[in-house]
Amino acid sequence: MKILTKLKENKFLAFVILSYIATFIFKSDVGLLGLSNSIYYFKELLSIMPVVLVLTALFDLWMPKDTIVKNLGKNSGFKGTVFSFMLGSLSAGPIYAAFPIGVMLLKKGASIRNVVIILSSWAVIKVPMLVNEVKFLGPQFMVVRWILTVLSVIILASIAAKIVRDEDIVLEEEVQQKGVSINESACMGCSMCSRGYPELFEFEKKKAHVKVMDISKVDKQKLKKAINECPTHAIKYLEV
Amino acid sequence: MDLFTIIIWIVTAIFLIFSFKKDKKSTKGAAKKALKMGKGMASGLIVTILLIGLILAYLPPDKIAQFVAEKNLMLSTFAAAIFGTITIIPAFVAFPLVGTLVDASISIVPAVAFLTTLTMVGIVTFPIERKAFGTKFALTRNVLSFVFAIIISLIMGVIL
Repeated sequence: MKILTKLKENKFLAFVILSYIATFIFKSDVGLLGLSNSIYYFKELLSIMPVVLVLTALFDLWMPKDTIVKNLGKNSGFKGTVFSFMLGSLSAGPIYAAFPIGVMLLKKGASIRNVVIILSSWAVIKVPMLVNEVKFLGPQFMVVRWILTVLSVIILASIAAKIVRDEDIVLEEEVQQKGVSINESACMGCSMCSRGYPELFEFEKKKAHVKVMDISKVDKQKLKKAINECPTHAIKYLEV
Repeated sequence: MDLFTIIIWIVTAIFLIFSFKKDKKSTKGAAKKALKMGKGMASGLIVTILLIGLILAYLPPDKIAQFVAEKNLMLSTFAAAIFGTITIIPAFVAFPLVGTLVDASISIVPAVAFLTTLTMVGIVTFPIERKAFGTKFALTRNVLSFVFAIIISLIMGVIL
């Protein structure tokens, strides 16, 4: 299974590499432009991704769950909306830089609505960009677009929260299986667990799975390590 | 690096130092976790970025802007929104581009649609989003963002 997922991931890579080779053969200038574009975006990603990941891990460490639930959870109301906009719009980098933060906040009890607000405002309502927008498009454009976008994001997030239910993202943690289980929606396929404990964890369709195994034979030390190392806390263990 | 990115780096560094002073072991754990998260996302991101680079080389957004500007209003708005969904590009690249589209076009409507889908909706980045949040979340967010991009642009066309 591990080989299969590897192959599947590499298929994407192979497709991209082949596209580049074909481009270089037929239109080498386009290929060069593609590479230089990529380098540009890669630099941009490097300028923000490390710091976002460190911040995510630090928030995860120090921010108590209650605080997140209170300020960004389902009942956080208007305050939660304001906080979400602030978090999202004071950001830098493209929207995908915000994904790890969004996942962490969801894990800690932020509502889907507020996470959608954070992601959307991260993409398009950027305080650091306001000056740029005025420069290229004029102040009137900026103000009207800003107001319309904020309103749209609020409506959009509310609709999204109606369509996407918690179960679609976070499996009910209360109704837990006995033994070792994996919250598949939380698992982001980093393969930490299967590298640390390949006898227990395997990969299928980019998600970790628990191999069928006699629970008494599980090495508790290794299991504990895997649980602690999982970046999205997707591994659960309930004493049998 | 823009000022805000620098500020975020500084704030994070201070946060990290405080955290380290308060709890060495947990902070080390957090740093390791950050590194592992990065490793987990790295391969997907690199391939995605290479693909974005190539797509933008074939379909330079300024060419798209010119192409779109020549059509009639409804058609060009829709076309602009669709072109914007192919990939996500950062907002600071998008604004100057959209500026040229506004200058070239008969209306700002397609420009706004382009700007919004360009930064919010991404087909190429969809696999990364799905991996992080699940299919339903990623699909819902992208589709709704597309619909609202059109709504925002049409309202702006009426107001301005």
